Amino acid sequence: MSDKIGIYVCECGPNIASRVHIDKIMEDLAKLEDFKDKELVIKNHKLLCSVDGKKFLEDEINENGFSHLVLAACSPRDHDTTFINVCKKTKLNPYMYRIINIREQCAWVYSDKDVATEKAVRYIHAGMNRVLYQKPLNETELDSNPDVLVIGGGTTGIEAALSSAGENRKIFLIEKEENLGDLTSKLKELLPRQGSNLNVLKQRISDVQNNKNIRIFTNTELESIVGFLGNFEIVLKNKKSDETTELLVGAVVMANGAELQNPQELTDFNFQNDDNVFTAQEVEEMFSQSDKLTLRNGNEPKSVALVHCVGRKDLGYCSKICCNYLQKIAHYINEQSNNIEITEFYKHLCLPNKEDQEYHQKITDKVNFVRITDISLCGTELNLTKINGENSTLKPDMVILATGIIPAKDNPKFAKMLKVDLDERGFFNEAHLKKDPISTNTDGVFIAGTTKGPAGISESILQAQACAGKILTQLIPGQKIIPEVMVSEILEAYCRGCKTCLDVCGFGAIYFDEDKGVSIVNEAICRGCGNCVGSCPSGSIRTKYFTNPQLYQEVKEALR
Amino acid sequence: MNKGIKLEGEIRKSILDFFEKTLSNNTFDAVLMPMMVPSEDSYAWILVKDKNLLKDAEPIVPIMPINAAKALKRYTRIGDGKFKIAALMKPCEIRATIELVKLNQIKLDDVTLFSYDCVGALPMQDFIAEPQKKGTLFDKLLKEQIYNSDETKPVCQICDKFSNCASDLHFAFENGNVVLISNSEKGDKTVTKMKFSPNIDLKNWQNNIDALATDKKKNRAETFELVKKMAEGFDNLSETFALCINCHNCSSVCPICYCRKCYFDSAVAKPNSDVKMMRAKQRGGIALPLDKIMFHTGRMAHMSLSCVSCGLCSDACPVNIPVAQIFSYVASQTQKTFDYVAGENAGDALPMKEYKLDEMGELGEMVKKAEVQESHNE
Amino acid sequence: MNNNVLIIGSGIAGMDASLMLSRAGKKVFLVEKLSLIGGKIIKNEESFPNLDCSTCLIAPIQQDILQDKNIEVMTVSTVQKVEGTAGNFKVKIFKKARYVNMQDCLGCGMCYPPCPVSQINEWEENLMEKKAVYVPTAGSLPNVPVIDADKCLRLNGTEECNKCAEACMFGAIDFTEKDEEIEVEVGSIIVATGFDTLDVSEMENLGYGKISGVYTALEFERLFSSNGPTEGKLTLRDSKKSPESIAIIHCVGRDDVGYCSSVCCTYSAKHAHFLKHKLPNAKIYNFYNDICLPDKTYQKFHEKIKGHATEFIFQADRNKMNIIQKGAKIEVSYIDKKDIKNSVLVDMVILANAMVPANSSTELYETLGIETDKYGFVASQTFRIGSVATSKPGIFVAGCAEGPKDIQSSVIQAEAAVAQILSKN
Repeated sequence: MSDKIGIYVCECGPNIASRVHIDKIMEDLAKLEDFKDKELVIKNHKLLCSVDGKKFLEDEINENGFSHLVLAACSPRDHDTTFINVCKKTKLNPYMYRIINIREQCAWVYSDKDVATEKAVRYIHAGMNRVLYQKPLNETELDSNPDVLVIGGGTTGIEAALSSAGENRKIFLIEKEENLGDLTSKLKELLPRQGSNLNVLKQRISDVQNNKNIRIFTNTELESIVGFLGNFEIVLKNKKSDETTELLVGAVVMANGAELQNPQELTDFNFQNDDNVFTAQEVEEMFSQSDKLTLRNGNEPKSVALVHCVGRKDLGYCSKICCNYLQKIAHYINEQSNNIEITEFYKHLCLPNKEDQEYHQKITDKVNFVRITDISLCGTELNLTKINGENSTLKPDMVILATGIIPAKDNPKFAKMLKVDLDERGFFNEAHLKKDPISTNTDGVFIAGTTKGPAGISESILQAQACAGKILTQLIPGQKIIPEVMVSEILEAYCRGCKTCLDVCGFGAIYFDEDKGVSIVNEAICRGCGNCVGSCPSGSIRTKYFTNPQLYQEVKEALR
Repeated sequence: MNKGIKLEGEIRKSILDFFEKTLSNNTFDAVLMPMMVPSEDSYAWILVKDKNLLKDAEPIVPIMPINAAKALKRYTRIGDGKFKIAALMKPCEIRATIELVKLNQIKLDDVTLFSYDCVGALPMQDFIAEPQKKGTLFDKLLKEQIYNSDETKPVCQICDKFSNCASDLHFAFENGNVVLISNSEKGDKTVTKMKFSPNIDLKNWQNNIDALATDKKKNRAETFELVKKMAEGFDNLSETFALCINCHNCSSVCPICYCRKCYFDSAVAKPNSDVKMMRAKQRGGIALPLDKIMFHTGRMAHMSLSCVSCGLCSDACPVNIPVAQIFSYVASQTQKTFDYVAGENAGDALPMKEYKLDEMGELGEMVKKAEVQESHNE
Repeated sequence: MNNNVLIIGSGIAGMDASLMLSRAGKKVFLVEKLSLIGGKIIKNEESFPNLDCSTCLIAPIQQDILQDKNIEVMTVSTVQKVEGTAGNFKVKIFKKARYVNMQDCLGCGMCYPPCPVSQINEWEENLMEKKAVYVPTAGSLPNVPVIDADKCLRLNGTEECNKCAEACMFGAIDFTEKDEEIEVEVGSIIVATGFDTLDVSEMENLGYGKISGVYTALEFERLFSSNGPTEGKLTLRDSKKSPESIAIIHCVGRDDVGYCSSVCCTYSAKHAHFLKHKLPNAKIYNFYNDICLPDKTYQKFHEKIKGHATEFIFQADRNKMNIIQKGAKIEVSYIDKKDIKNSVLVDMVILANAMVPANSSTELYETLGIETDKYGFVASQTFRIGSVATSKPGIFVAGCAEGPKDIQSSVIQAEAAVAQILSKN
């Protein structure tokens, strides 16, 4: 079958037509030396992306039976998808076409019409060269499993499970401890803006236990996971019985939480276990159990200092929830007795929610707020520098420290298993901080709660729901998944098995065949980013739609 | 500091006796060692199973016919290897082995690596021309422990990593004695199996080696100043590689160039006639075959981060281009950029495998600085 | 029970929710009161903390929205009436006439130059003018102009002007177009109407509106943008020269509204960076009180940029800031860390003014029948913690309509709203 190439030059109304000589472009293309033996159909159209234009194109392709198609038009960002969809309605494989940008890259950047015209001809010629090296690519459909593995049985994990569970979607919730729940069970009260009382959170635990679409595994850890969105093979292991369970799921939600920094590890904070220095968490627990603040000897303190931002200097980030919960603790203490003198030492107040400032102001007449630039602790003696530069010392009966939230210790282990990045602090990294804050670079793995950074209860719950939103819209029971077509492939004959590509792949899309000693691309996960192509020392990897010959043909003409 | 074990006898005999014992008592199932070829003008690597053949082996050879790492690779790349083998090689061959381990071409699970204090190797062509004379010369260097002879290959003359390395065990030479040193757990296991008790102090030996290394480092720096003029800039490269006949021998013998089909031999790197004509049009004329310098700079880009300066490339060049010195110089620069030294430690990750987002920022700064510098100089 | 969804507001939250719902096969009506989609982000050339180009961030999303066959985008439209209950809402949408046919128009822009009418461009923060036929800014999507009927000489009955129609090659101008009332039936509604910023013209001590060198943060964003009023050249209103010294005031209006807007400290650092970038020799003073950096990445960003400002000056009392014209300069007086009154002379002041509920949102919320909080934002979490449900079942809120927040928090709320809608099904 000989090649028949369709070349259509779009005028884009006056956008292209007024800045280049359309006729000359078409003439010059017809005269190309290296295409004189090929069958070419060269036409122009006022506006290919219009309803008219698309129909015109569809008819032209059907009538002519093109083997290749080149469209000289606007930026691929604008209409590449439009024309791929037109091709899909015809017999022409959509990957046998190429759009050439003669608008943003020719017509719109030159004031000299002749210069723009010449460039346009060369660009189109380059595209014509390239398109001859393109091969048809076919989309495949994969069955997908709609079930979900949720790692972590705290507030966040429970919310993710409840929001995504359904008749056609089972949730497997695993928790490494004996019981579900987290530190919220040790709180005396929630903040007023958190809307309700603690029983609501406790109720969620019963809800998840009673939901017939959710299966709970306590004392259980993730042993291994292999696969991709819609097709993860997981193995769970019960720590106590050593029993393993094999499951198939379509998505994973990481909700393994975080930890609190140990203030005794900080050089500026020196105290012994029997000093009256407590973390805010210890104080909260004290209140929730006995509803009374006492010193270690059982007496009520006469003076208490609350210290913000402990350890923040080393961590390099704000833990977000502490300013608010310290106000809550100040409220607790004041309720207990308004004879207890309360001083709060802070550098900045972080009150990012709309209700926080008002809540803070409720306590300002009952607490002595001191803004500082530096503070250190020895026993219960605080040495500090105030904002105005004065040094000062205070030795209250009791010191309460708000320590930072730090990444969970098993994050690196999970990161490796799930092939997900951690950020420089050790928290899980989002796919995109702003646009895609609860996805990860591995399709099908989502993150929620403090595992991705300091967060309060409402935020963690919202993040868990956002994960459910992604799952409910990406993994629809019965719907097939169509993976990316323009992926990489490794030529087995040339591969030497050095595994450089494995390390470089950000998506975990390459695996190693031990028997053959070669690396292989999993086309269902590959996104076609091309990192592996660049890293391969032997040139055995290429991407299907951007092969070296294709790129070379395009570039050589442009540089002629 | 480690202590060593004294072995009885002069160098050749004591090493062969040692390996014979290891084969007798099943410490090892086989030993990889060089042996002279029948024509007596070269050596080959033999995997020796029968201990009786060992008497004909030559543990310390005057030349490097192939890089031992390549020989080892042939054995270990595929297959589970349930047999314990010992491999005795020069320090640069050990370094090449370490790099090949990182590139997944060699598995060391059942291999115990041995190295020795290396006086260097003689240029292949010199040896082949007069094998007996050169053989005698080499014996003298070895006996008199001369580490800086100008009879050895140019890269050997500037090599400061000629002694202990990332092997499991090392034969140290001191005052005519052979002292075996263990460098690793695997080495310790061998020592135990052989029922040795390390009791020789190594301080004097180490000091001697350090002093020699310092001298060689100075030599290296001086030599690189000269090599720089041959290697930097397209014009210099063109002149240096003017004699190159595109035989690609250098890449064939290089232990790091292990690709099944070299990129530069593949169709991708061979453009068709209209491209060639286009280039001829642009420049007035082109040399055929194309891309001679591209091959060398491309090879530098592909392997210089792992180059161990073994010098085989110069040995293999039929037109005597000092390839090894040039590549050794370039490698020293590229490795420095990434804070990496090839062959030191199997645990160091290859720079290509450790992509850090910030890295590119540093390189960008370096490029900017270099550009500013250049414009200053102009 | 109807599965369609109405989303009010085409900012990042509205767009993200639309695309997710479309992917799940739901029909979405995306209603936007302006003539362009994209919300407030596109007013910034770069957004923190990684300073990525907003166009690059948003344009692919906007394109996807406009090409998505499940999403019906209705611009220059507002919601007039809502009846019914969750699962069965009947919504009346008032769609203003553009007087430009969206299928025929190419966005070539040939109709603007001949138009004889000039008016102030509010989208560009009143810093430049537009014609009666216009797109709010270069790069607007959909790239189709709108004609303001009250300003257009023909449409307001002043004269038979035809200049734009004559300039159009495609006959896309249609003066006969009429405003429409469209009724849609939906099962759920997401309110994603975003925010506006506090009008500080009444605040005497800030000099805004009287002193020409005093700008709001959004005005500065437009000043800095390369597709803005000064093409990124940062020249001042009156003098047309670039400033040599600039004061950036944090927490403007914070105590008037009663809450922290949570993004201003970070974007004020960004502004310091912008200024340093364009005016390397300028003196930059950031006047701060509390520094609020509520995301794990903001402190690092803040610390990096802090070095760009000449000085970060602590103001002990954020309500005692006083700005007056002093000759050719502007005097900024404040209470310093030693509680003493101090001052600085600058050429330009940028006020980081508080985020408030979007203009005309009060009427909308009444129409929808949903409760607002004491600040005028939509009240959420009324049933339980971590909910984006409003007081009316079936209606959800996402983004700054609920309260000041950064981009990622808006996106998370949008995705949570989608989950709350779909998991009911």
